[in-house]
Amino acid sequence: MAPCNFWGKLVTVAGFEADHTLEQDAQLVQQCLQGDGSAWEELVRRHTRRIFNICYRFTGNGTEAEDLSQEVFLRVYKTLASYRSAHGGFATWMSSVTRNLLIDHYRRTKRDRITDSLDDAMPVVENKESAGRRPDQQLLLHELSYQVQAALTKLSPELREAVILRDLQQLEYNEIRQVLDVPEGTVKSRINRGRIELARILQQMGVRPS
Amino acid sequence: MTWTCEHIEAHLSDYLDGLLSPDERREFALHASSCEHCTQMVASISHLLSGLHSLEQVEPPPQLVYAILNKTLGPREAKKGWRGAFGWLSGLTSARFAYSAVSVAATLLILLTASGFSWRKPKLADLSPATVYRNANSKAHLAYAHTTKFVSDLRVVYEIQSRLNKDNELPTTPESTVPQSSPGKAPGSTDGTRPATPRQQNRANGLRREIEVLAMGIPALSNQWCRQPLGRRIP
Repeated sequence: MAPCNFWGKLVTVAGFEADHTLEQDAQLVQQCLQGDGSAWEELVRRHTRRIFNICYRFTGNGTEAEDLSQEVFLRVYKTLASYRSAHGGFATWMSSVTRNLLIDHYRRTKRDRITDSLDDAMPVVENKESAGRRPDQQLLLHELSYQVQAALTKLSPELREAVILRDLQQLEYNEIRQVLDVPEGTVKSRINRGRIELARILQQMGVRPS
Repeated sequence: MTWTCEHIEAHLSDYLDGLLSPDERREFALHASSCEHCTQMVASISHLLSGLHSLEQVEPPPQLVYAILNKTLGPREAKKGWRGAFGWLSGLTSARFAYSAVSVAATLLILLTASGFSWRKPKLADLSPATVYRNANSKAHLAYAHTTKFVSDLRVVYEIQSRLNKDNELPTTPESTVPQSSPGKAPGSTDGTRPATPRQQNRANGLRREIEVLAMGIPALSNQWCRQPLGRRIP
């Protein structure tokens, strides 16, 4: 069965790459703890994009996402010695730190937040893979992604973080369980409820499935 | 067990993520296809997932990495002392700089050589722009003149050759098949045995004039063609 072999190899390669990344991260962390500044710089370069994306999707605001990303790395830098590779990958640990900071930020700014409007959001460049799509399809997708981002910010933080980690960061259930520090059943339930709630918000916004 | 709308809602993500067993999947499909509310819900969640997946990675601002490094490692200090003063020299050791330097040197070498700069007796005056321009202009004109002369000479030689070939290819009449001339006898002139016909005579004279005119273009050839009797040169 050629397709099965192909997918099998693909999965093996992806798994190998993931293991390789984990090993590299663990090595860099060790070097950082020994005082190697260039290792820390490498870690920052490897994870900035992912952390910024989580923050941006959670807040829906580029400036806030930038500030929060800096806070995340500052906290990670200060608590690097507490990281244990036996408890999971460095990326998962970073996601966990990010999630805690985002929740703190949400609670801190709850009073200040008057509206969830995205009007004041700093525009950011979306890295879309537009190859092979017609201009009208691209336009529709762009509009849909904008509406989904707007709907995401209206979701409760517990459901929002679960949906972001699952559907935007493509994390597995057990990884999300580690990040959120809740049982896997709760993770599944939150993702399910988050999706249904998000669909309801979109419906209220007048977005109908085509 | 027959599934209800509550079951569908509880297992919606499992269904979309492909986590249901075949039996559960069948039950799910059975209810979802018969219930309008559930059909609509499944469609809207599928649409939402396509929207979520269309939200691709956003590019962080370029200064973010530097801001993080400044916050964690501290602002980068400027180098002081000799290392600071001559720090820029480290950039000169790069392969890119060496390649550029070699390219510029080669270009200068070609330009100076073309402008007539003497490498054996270099003079500073030869490097002044006016001299370089004058020498380059002179060299260019000389090269142009040489090329023109060469092409002209070549054209004359080919023309002579083509005319001689044309003459050889002319059909011969019975009386002129073998124009055996005795040594020292001019072509067309009679020696008393077999007088040349007026037609042969005219053609020989005309050919001689043409070759003499064409040979004037080449000094080396013109002397030979004018000195030697034409009859010996024509095979």
